Amino acid sequence: MIPDRVVEVLHGPTWIQIGSRDEALRPAHTVAVGAVVHDDRQTVTVFVPTARSGRVLRDLTGNGRIAVGLALASHESYQLKGTYISSRPTDDTDRARQEARRAALLESALEAGYPEAIARPLALGLAITPGVAITFRAEQVFLQTPGPGAGTLLS
Amino acid sequence: MAILPDDIKAAMQGVIPSHVVTCSHDGTPNASAISQVYYVDADHVALSHQFFNKTKRNLEENPRAMAWVISPETFEAWDLELEFVRSETSGPIFDIMEMQIEAIASMVGMKGIFKLRAADVFRVTAVSKAVGERIPLAEIPRAR
Repeated sequence: MIPDRVVEVLHGPTWIQIGSRDEALRPAHTVAVGAVVHDDRQTVTVFVPTARSGRVLRDLTGNGRIAVGLALASHESYQLKGTYISSRPTDDTDRARQEARRAALLESALEAGYPEAIARPLALGLAITPGVAITFRAEQVFLQTPGPGAGTLLS
Repeated sequence: MAILPDDIKAAMQGVIPSHVVTCSHDGTPNASAISQVYYVDADHVALSHQFFNKTKRNLEENPRAMAWVISPETFEAWDLELEFVRSETSGPIFDIMEMQIEAIASMVGMKGIFKLRAADVFRVTAVSKAVGERIPLAEIPRAR
């Protein structure tokens, strides 16, 4: 089960990256904008621009292994590791959630001291349409905030 | 071979954190933020190794990595496919990265936490723009 604080982070202004790998163990990366934790507190859906989803989806349908990194502007960070379940095109509800998330990312980046000239294009420039919703089961949750506790298994 | 384009250098100054994905021998990927991807030459970069972490352990098992960098000027992002070459704990690359990590730590309030342990040097095997990740700058709503 995903800890309360990590659910808050997943639903908050968090920068999300996805890691996968192919059969030759070559890693791949893409960014995601927005996430939803399902009621079981173990299933998570993240949203990825379609144009950036090809390689990761090939990996995920091939072997299922996924890592999702989460970082707040404060550097508080976590990582989820788990197994791919499914994907589908994003819908209006997803896009509304993503737009709200972009606005929250801008606000948090400004609060963290990033100049507007960087924070605005960095947050609001994230593409959301067309998009793919990728759902996975989180099996491990790690603390990743820089410091001595980084790497601690939380769940 | 000069695989890295000149305009990628702006994305390697540590202004915006980069990302790195590695993979363990058993096939588990690991996604992590990283303070700096440093431009060594047109075929090599160095990643800041600041903590004894899963990224480092994975590289001992599997030398392949994928790094993502973004320019704070154009907001273009790139994916770099990498192969680990060596770890340096002294010398000019280490010294410059150590100085830059200290500057980054001061700027983001992480002084005393961000400390460079090694400059991990990688050969770049492929580079590509992260096309479709971002909308054009002209389409981003301006501040009111």
